[in-house]
Formats: sequence, C-alpha cells, structure tokens
Amino acid sequence: MTEGPEAPENIPEPEAVQLPGSVHLQDLSVNFGRHQALKNITAAFSPKGISVLVGRSGSGKTTLLRSINRLNEEFDACATSGQVYADFGQGLIPLYDNPDLFLPDLRLRAGMLFQNPNLFPVSVYRNLALPLQLAAGFPKAELPDRIRQALTSVGLWKELENRLDLPAERLSGGQQQRLCLARTLALEPRILLLDEPTASLDVHAAKEIEDLLLQLAGRYTVIMVSHSLAQAGRLGSRILVCEEGRLSATLDAGADFSEEMLARLL
Amino acid sequence: MTSHMPGEGVKRPPLFRLFKHCYGLAAPLLLFCLLSLLGFLLYHGAPSLNLSLLFGDVPPLEAISGRRPVWDGLWPAFTGTLCLIGLTMGLALLPGIGCGLYLAEYASPRRKKIIDSAVDILAGTPSIVMGLFGFTLILFLRRTLLPEANTGLLPASACLALLVLPVLIVGTREALEAVPESLRLTAAALGFSRSQRLRRVLLPAAGQGLWGGLILAIGRCAEDTAVIMLTGAVANAGLPAGLTAKFEALPFFVYYITAQYQTQEELLLGFGAALLLLLLAGGLTLLAHGLETGYRRRWQGGKR
Repeated sequence: MTEGPEAPENIPEPEAVQLPGSVHLQDLSVNFGRHQALKNITAAFSPKGISVLVGRSGSGKTTLLRSINRLNEEFDACATSGQVYADFGQGLIPLYDNPDLFLPDLRLRAGMLFQNPNLFPVSVYRNLALPLQLAAGFPKAELPDRIRQALTSVGLWKELENRLDLPAERLSGGQQQRLCLARTLALEPRILLLDEPTASLDVHAAKEIEDLLLQLAGRYTVIMVSHSLAQAGRLGSRILVCEEGRLSATLDAGADFSEEMLARLL
Repeated sequence: MTSHMPGEGVKRPPLFRLFKHCYGLAAPLLLFCLLSLLGFLLYHGAPSLNLSLLFGDVPPLEAISGRRPVWDGLWPAFTGTLCLIGLTMGLALLPGIGCGLYLAEYASPRRKKIIDSAVDILAGTPSIVMGLFGFTLILFLRRTLLPEANTGLLPASACLALLVLPVLIVGTREALEAVPESLRLTAAALGFSRSQRLRRVLLPAAGQGLWGGLILAIGRCAEDTAVIMLTGAVANAGLPAGLTAKFEALPFFVYYITAQYQTQEELLLGFGAALLLLLLAGGLTLLAHGLETGYRRRWQGGKR
C-alpha cells in the first residue's frame, strides 16, 4: 500500500471524529442512480474489537461496508462523495480520489467475506492459490506453506489436509465459509469487512464462525454487518444502527447490548 | 408431475391444459425428428460410406499425401471443407470473441445497444445475401484496386467469417453474462485486477458456454453452401491449392449432386457425402468438447 500524497498529519482531522480508529468515514454519501443509499455519514471504527452494523434491510449497512473496499464501484451508476480514511499500518490515507492508491491493493488490505460462501468453482487448493498468486503476487514456491497456514488459522487443515484436490463446492456450508475466511486471511489484510457472514449457515456452523471472529478481533479491525441482534450483542464491542442511509445510534462498549434494547433502536 | 405441486387441485381452464400437453409433446417430437433424420441419412448413406467414397480407386495413403489426385472420391471436398473451416475460424475467432468480451464486460449501455443491433442485423442476414455481397465485392475489386481478384478459398472464408461472427459474438457474450454476479464481485473483493478477473476467473468459468458458441460456429461454417457457391466452391478442383485457388466442399457437393444426378448411384453418393459431412461436424464437436473438458480440469485443478 502506498501512502497518499498528503502525509497523515496533513489530513484535515475531521471534526466529528475524535475516537482513535483505523477507519474514518467523513461526510460519506453513496448514490446508485437516483437512489441515495448513504446520506452524509461520519463515523470512526476502532482497530480493536468487532464493530457491528445492524439495521433493517435496505438501511445501507452493506453499502457502508462496501464503501471501505470501494466495492460499490463495481455496480452501475454508483457515485460516491465524501471521503473514507483508513490506516493500513502507515497512518490514515484517503481511499477516494487518491491517485497513489491502487484499487486491487486496497482490496487486499481490506478483505471481505460475503453472506454466501462465494467460492470459485475450482478445487480447495486452487481457491486459495489463485488470489495468493495472482492478486497478492506471492511466488509459487511459497504457496503450499501459506495455504497450510491459512487453513490452520480457520481450523480446516486437519479436515482437509488430504483433500485439497476436492472441488470446493463439495464442502459443507460451514466449511465453505471457513474456507472463504481462510482465503481472505491468507492475503494478509489489516481490515476485515464481513457482510452477514453467518446468515446462510446453520446454528452450529454459525457458532464456529463466531468463535473464529472473536479470536481474530484482536488482530484485525473487524467491521461486520449482522442480521441478528442476538449475534450483534454476542460479538460486538461497538454497535452502530443504520436507518435509511444514516447512522441513527451508536452503542459503545459498556452499553446495554441486550436484544430488547437493540430491538427498540431499530 | 407430483401431487405436491402448489396450486394442485385448482381447476385450470381447458386451453391451459391443452397447452400443457402440447409442450409436453415438444421434447419427444424434437427427439423423433432428429432420430428419423439420422435414420434416413444412415439408411441411404451408410451403404456408400467406405474408403472408396473418400478416395475412389486411389490408395488412401497416396491420396492423403497428395501424391495422386483423387477424381472420383470425396477426399478433395473433405479437405476443402476442413480448410474452409480452419481459415474461417482463424479469421472470425479473434474479432468474434473480442467483440463478445467487449459487450459483456466493457461497453457502456448506450454502446451495447448500438453494437447489439448491428450484430442482430448481421445475424439476420441470409447466407445467400452474404454470398452475393462477397461476389459483388470481388467484382468491384477487379474493376478498381485488384484486377486479378477472383473467387477462391480466401474470399469464401472471409464471407463465411462474416456469417459466423454473430454466432461467436452472441455465444461469448451470453456465456460471460451467465457467470454469476457473485463470482465477479468476489474476484474484485479479493484484489484481482480487471484483466486478471476476466482472464483467470470469468473466462474459465464461462468456458462451457464459450466452447458451445465455438461449436455452433463450426457447424454453421461446415454446412453453409450459399456463401461458398458464389465465392469460390466448384464441383471439380482437386485438393485446395492455395488461398486464392478454387476448392471443393462437402455441402456444395451434396447440393450439386442432388440437383444434377444422372444415375441412382450418384444420388446415393450424395447421401454418403451428407453423412460424411455430419461425421466431420460431429468429430469436430467431440474434439472441441474434449479440449473444453481438458481445459476445465486444468483450471479447476488438483494441487498443481
């Protein structure tokens, strides 16, 4: 990741942002054609713990998440105004209108996990090897080691050690989602963006993913969209409530994260 | 139909039920048509399908190596058709697949609309019109820039390439558009650049559809008669001698012999040629299918 043209100290510190954090949204608006999905959002996300976004469907949670890895731009007629700053280890850099920022680099540093396990229709090994080799540019000789590490970190190595040639689609739903997480972690991101990562899983598989996320929370800035208030209460160290493209409430650590309390805010 | 279908027990209007029975019949009907066509062709063509159909009384090896010309066999027409297919695909493949890629991945909606209608017009052009176009183009060239221009293998291939271009464009485009949006988004989110995404994820994932378009194009190219009879195919030319030489082709032979046959044997020869053409197209299809399977296996890969 190259640093922005302005050194971090030259960035005008956004007024509303006082919290120390590794992702700052400043006056961020996102439009898809005439539909305004996000309306002048200013917020900061802390580097430790899991920040959970909750809200009704269509409230802009996913758009907010995708503004951080600029994935909204993959859709037609998307227009973004405002700025997002992120810290990938060299201080805050602006992510929009930054000629020194190479978009694929940003997406390597801010890894994303989707609601459905979006595996490539190839073998387990190739699913991990393709992005490692092509996007991150690791030499081929390093791949087996990196793949073993990644699978170990999500607890899949023992299960799949001898089945790396298996088509990835044959894994169970929970294994698939863990494989997706391994694929993202292998690229050594600083920020993890999770878009309802357990929504398509059964209770048991969801629990496994949740446990993994809690382990990862200390090492990455984790921002997660959740459909479940109970899950938000269990995992979140901070909960942000989205409503019609705005952040309508923010609950910091220590606040009442009970389901009843959250339900009242929605 | 199971009894658990939603809406089961609801009384449908008789017209609807009639329609349902009709489309239930459509699939067996198609199969019946195909089988009777094949059966008819086999019945008439199979008896004459042997080595002498291809090579006449020339020993096969000497005919294949071109040491002795074949006058009373289909070998020259067979090679002519193969050359024609090869040359046409060589000319059409890059622009066809390129245009399909552009339409699916890069074109703005406005441009897409314009190019789409152009492709539609090209796809709707009858092959005889394409042949006439080639013929008049050759005449035009003779009178202006190239006095020595004449009908032959290259002009025929060029016109055929125009004919199969829309097949390739539409095939490529549809294959790419059939790749799930989630795959595209995932590749983007994993940091693939746009060209990596296209080359290493979308194209391999669209592989089956792409090869399908290719096979259709080859078939179209193998069977077309109208274009080549106006631009270079003749009844008697021997093996194709070069890009500008006249050539023989199987579909033209079938057309010619069934229009002009004098004896029953000659007509049967026509059936033999038709069967040979079918086998050639079928063989190429199998080859393409084999290549596709191999390519897909390599992409989906085991460990290495």
